[in-house]
Order: sequence, then structure tokens, then C-alpha cells
Amino acid sequence: MKKYVLYPGCVMPTEQYAYEMSIREVLPLLNIKLVDLEGFSCCGEPIKSVNQMLSLALSARNIALAEKEGLDIFAPCPMCHLALSESKRILDSELGMNEKINKFLADEGLSYTGKVDIVNTLDLLHDIVGVDKIKELVKKPLKELKVATHYGCHLIRPSEIGRPDDSENPQKMEKILEAIGAKPLDYPEKLDCCGGLLTANLPDSALTKTGQKLQKVQEQGFDAFIDICPWCHRQYDSKQTKAGEIVAAKLEVPVFYLTQLLGISFGISKDKLGLDLNLSPVDKLNLGGK
Amino acid sequence: MSKKIGFFICHCGINIASTVDIKELMDYAKTLDGVVVSQDYKYMCSDVGANLIKDSIKKHKLDGVVIACCSPRMHEHTFRGVVEAGGINAFNLEIANIREQCSWAHKDKYLATEKAKALVRGAIAKAKLLESLETSKIDVTPEALVIGGGIAGIQVALDLAEEGHKVYLVEKSPSIGGRMAQLDKTFPTLDCSSCILTPKMMEVANHSNIELLSYSEVIGIDGSIGNYIVKVKKKARFVNMDKCTGCGDCMVACRLKDRIPSEFNEGMGMRSAIYMPFPQAVPLKCTIDAQNCLMLTRGKCGTEPLCVEACEADAIDFKQKDEEVEINVGAIVLATGYDLLDPTSLYEYGYARSDDVITSLEMERLISSSGPTGGEIIRPSNGEKPKSITYILCIGSRDETECPWCCRIGCMSALKHVYLLKEKLGDDVEINVCYTDIRSFGKGYEEFYRKIRGMRTNFFRGRPSEVRNAGDHLTIDIFDTTTNTL
Repeated sequence: MKKYVLYPGCVMPTEQYAYEMSIREVLPLLNIKLVDLEGFSCCGEPIKSVNQMLSLALSARNIALAEKEGLDIFAPCPMCHLALSESKRILDSELGMNEKINKFLADEGLSYTGKVDIVNTLDLLHDIVGVDKIKELVKKPLKELKVATHYGCHLIRPSEIGRPDDSENPQKMEKILEAIGAKPLDYPEKLDCCGGLLTANLPDSALTKTGQKLQKVQEQGFDAFIDICPWCHRQYDSKQTKAGEIVAAKLEVPVFYLTQLLGISFGISKDKLGLDLNLSPVDKLNLGGK
Repeated sequence: MSKKIGFFICHCGINIASTVDIKELMDYAKTLDGVVVSQDYKYMCSDVGANLIKDSIKKHKLDGVVIACCSPRMHEHTFRGVVEAGGINAFNLEIANIREQCSWAHKDKYLATEKAKALVRGAIAKAKLLESLETSKIDVTPEALVIGGGIAGIQVALDLAEEGHKVYLVEKSPSIGGRMAQLDKTFPTLDCSSCILTPKMMEVANHSNIELLSYSEVIGIDGSIGNYIVKVKKKARFVNMDKCTGCGDCMVACRLKDRIPSEFNEGMGMRSAIYMPFPQAVPLKCTIDAQNCLMLTRGKCGTEPLCVEACEADAIDFKQKDEEVEINVGAIVLATGYDLLDPTSLYEYGYARSDDVITSLEMERLISSSGPTGGEIIRPSNGEKPKSITYILCIGSRDETECPWCCRIGCMSALKHVYLLKEKLGDDVEINVCYTDIRSFGKGYEEFYRKIRGMRTNFFRGRPSEVRNAGDHLTIDIFDTTTNTL
């Protein structure tokens, strides 16, 4: 059993509950114990463009909290994962930065030394747990379910700092989905943006991006659309109807978190995986029985 | 008897003087044992500097000279001449490299001066131990080795052979000719590539001073400058070179006919397991590809290998072994040429996803009349005539993730293709070129570019973000940085 501190971020515990629920159900079955910690703050990413030092300090503070426990961090939100990983890289490589930030952390009796690893759902499942282990747990294989994957931007870019998967041809979700019996297929729009980050300034453009991608997925006959980021999921699942209105299309694409689909194949009941919280028409697939 | 050493320090303009304290170094050198004179000058390698050294040698009856200046690679030879002219043996000179290994590498003046002192102290200590030497001459082997049988290697071999040197030309593939043999036309004059190349290939084959070692590789080089001993592996062709007439009957008979991707056609066409890369090959002999031949991989090819049956000259010999030969040469010319970057690693451009994404060399084979389609332009996926062709330049070059440098031939090669495609397809086929900057830098290149610009071609300045399959065609998104439009 490997232990990780769960870094929840902001979106998951305040609105995207299904992601957290499914994570808390699925990971313990794969011998991953999640430890909850008090005192986490914002990851820093939302203010990076305004105040980079503050963003760095916030990330370092969160990492330092985990360091104190002597545990690695599991950040299911790709944006948090990027903020923490990027800050770690800066702190570990830029001369003098470590000392500067540690002065700030000293007020709380914390210190950053760079000992902990930061993982996301994708590398945790694919690299640390491994597809073989996942395969062992499958009780209800998702027979021939034709799925389209969506990685989102934060999880695979920028490649220079080392992300959980390749920036141009990510394949780890595909491997995991194959292990539970689903049939992931390549499609030209796979790397297209969800539009989520445009929401604040250009809400219509944001939903246009969302709608266009779902429309293409629907046209190509996919059964389901699988994502792994709470920001993307908010676009594709929560706002699917609205996105359909913007692009003038009737969108009926079932959207799942990767961890929800894993849970279904492991035989976990729908309500425990938060499936009733999905706003896209996931019921039409009749997965997981009752 | 202790030697009398003269110490000379060069400012090298400000190259040394701005980082190393010249005055302090001069004073320091004077305190060292054996140093009888310490002098500086702005450019010691100039005539004035040289005279200063020569005069000093005579005046102070020096028998050793230390110069603190640039690297010995730069001026050791120059200063040896100066010392010799001053009347002492040239080998009593020692150079302290305080430019490349000190002033250029450091910023802190105090520390750089301290390091220069240490370098000078070492050089002076060494100078006291130096002995006079005599130079002698050693004969060099007049034969030469050229590695690589492309156009560069061929031309070098011919030039050297014409000057009377015996030349060994080593080529790893079955025929010489290299990349140029694959080309249809050359830029910017649109000369026929083969018409320039093939006569030279023939000349190589017939030249009395050239020994062609085709299908061979250099496996070891020993010896020293002017006298090298080179080991060459002559790979087994499994065909007796003396008997083979190059008729090609075996290639037609082979059970694997049209089953193996042809290297010469960049995989756009097929060949047999026994093959000649192209009909104008030199030497005009067949070779069996040991990786694919059924007889050589499985020991069995039907009841009897069909090539053996077909060969009237009885040239096929499955028992042939690799041979090693040793040659002595005085000079070696490397002309190993280039390889194309495999665009598979650049997944976004779709080379791995679509048959219709091809490299420029693959296009060259499609354009060429000696190519797999006889010069007809088709889409590799379905054999139909394309409606639109887009060139993406700088794939993998000027790209920090692959090669940061410019390939220097991509722009011109694409412009040449545009011309040839326009000639073959006319204006009803749309041609787009996505470029970074068109680098048309050689003689006649800019004029050629202007000509193409006037030929109904769309030029976009920018690299596409992605090439996508969209049903039966491809779509390309490109942001044009000259017009700021997608």
C-alpha cells in the first residue's frame, strides 16, 4: 500500500464532486491510500500571470505541508498538478529561489527541500499502479465501448517541464481504457482545447470550442467521451446543453471521468461514483446496472 | 647551467588586457627564477612584436622564450619562426595560453590575473627544461581514401585520381550515386540530375587510378597523419562480381519480387530480395539482401531458389562470406552525406497517421521519371491525382526539440518541386507553401524564388499546428504571421 497526500484544489471539492468521489472509491482498490491534510491553500496557478512570486510561494507552501508528513502529493486536477510541478522545477533549479521562498515559509514553521514527488491521476494509474494491476480488478469489462479521450492542456503541456504524457501523441488514457475493455479510437480533434480557460473573458467563444469538439465526437459515432480534468469536465459535461445551443447542434454525448469508468468496470455502484451528478446523458449507456 | 628565459606578454588588443592585469603579470614574471627580461606589447604577433622578441633574444643572450598570449594552436608556429630567426632553436619556446584558457573564460580581473600567474609560472618552469630539437621529414603514403560514394565522394575521387593519386572509394550501399541519383532535377538551373551524375559514376568505374569498394564499410582506422592503415569490410553480395552481367533476370524471377520496400524509391516502390538499387547502378551487379532473402534467412526458398535457375551466368553464390581488406592511405576524405529526419517523431504533422503525408525525397521519387509511378503525381493512399498539395518547410529543423539549425536545402528543394509540379499538373492543382523564411541565398536562387512567386502558388509564413485526417482528405490549420490570420 502506497500513501499519498490528496491535494484537492478548488474546483473538485466545490463543484466537481463526482471526480473526487470516484477517486476515493477507485484508488484504495488499487492499493493507494489517500491521506487528507488540513491547511492547504490555492495552488497558485490562477494568479501566476499577476504575481509569479506569490504563485510560487503558494505552491511551495502546499508542497512543504506534504513534506512535513513525509508523503508524496497526489493532485487530481491537472492545473494544480502543473502549478505544483512547475514551481518545484523552478525551486529546484533556479539559484537562490529556494532560500527566498523558504524565508517566506519560515513564518509558519515550514520549509521546502524538494523531496516529494507530485503525481496526477494519469501517471498514478498508468506508471505507478500499472495497467496490469488495473486489468486484474476488472469485473465488468466495458465490452467494445467506443470511447474518445480528452487529455486537456495542463496535463500534457508544456513538455519542457516534463508532463505525465506526450504533448502531441498522448496514449496513457488509451492504455488504461483498453485494460478495462473499452475501445479507445484516435480522432483528429483529440487535442482540441475545451475552451474552459476562455470562460471569464469570452464565454461564447469558450462554449463554441466545447460544442465544436463534442459535435465532431458525436458525428464520428463515439459511445462516450472520457476526460480527466475538472475544468474540461465542467465544459463537456456540465455545460454540454449550453454548448449545443451555441453551435446549434443537439449534443447527446455521455461524458465520464476516467476514474468513473474505472469504477464501473470494477463493479462499484453508480451512486458511489457520483454518476448521478453527471449532467450529460450518461444513463443512456446503461453502464453499471441499476 | 641555468637557462636565461625571456618573458613576453601580449595584450591582444583588449582581449587579454581587459581581464588580466598586464603590469602585475610582468612584474610577477620578473620575480621568477631564470627570467632575465619581461616585456609587453599590444600585438605580439605583429612585425613590431616579433622584432621586439628577436632583439631581446640577442641583447639578453636568451636561451629560452615564454610568450603569454593566445592558444598555441593559433600562433605557436608563428612564434617558433620568430625564435628561430632570433638565433635560438625553435623548440625552446613555450606558450602560456592566457587568452582562450584565461581572459576569455573569466570576468573577475583579480582572479583572472591570479590564474594567469599560475599559467605563466608553469610555462616558465617548463621552458627551463626544454631541449633543442631537430625537425625531420617522413614520407606520406600517396594513396587516398574517400568514404562515401555520393556526388561529393565521386567528385573528390575523380579530382584526386586525375592528379595521379591512387584512390580507394568506399561506399556502403550496393551502388555509388548516393542522394543525387534519387533526384529528378537540380536547383536552380533545373538540370537533369542523372545527366550530371551518371557520366561521373561511369568515369569512377573505369578510372585506372580508382579502386571502387562498393557494398563495403570502414570498420577501423589505425596509424597516424599521412600513414593510415584502414580496415574495410566488403559485405557479401552473394553474387559473384566477375560472373554477374547485370542482366536483371534474377530480379524478375525472385519469389519476393515487388515485396520489399525499395530504399532507392524511399519505400514508394518495391523491389526483390536480389536487386540492383536502380538500373544505372555502378557497379552494374546484383546484390542479395541478406535480411530478406528466403534462402539466407530460412535456408530454403521453395524447392530451389528461382534466382539460381534464372541466372545463366551462374553467378549466385549463397556461401559467400564478408571479407576484410586492409589498405594503406595517406589521406582520408569523409563524404558521408546526409540523412532525412524521420518525421514520425513529430506526431502533429501526421506522417505517422496518413499515407498522404510524405517527405520531400519521397515526393522527388514521385516526380522522377525513373520513380515508382514513372513521374506521375498520385496520392499514395488511393492512387488518385491530388487536388491540392501543401509543402511544410523546416520540419524538425530550426526547431529546438529536434535540430536547431537550418538545413540550407529545404526551401530551394521545395521551390524546385513547386516548379516541377506546376509543369506536370498545371494550375488546376492548388499548391501551398508554409515557410519560416525563404532562404534563397545562393547564386541564382533569389531569381528562382521570384519566378515561383509569380506562378500562382500560395505562400504562408508560419508552421501549421497540426495536420489532420478529415475523411478522405487532410486539413491543415496555419497561422500566417505576415497577415496575422488563421
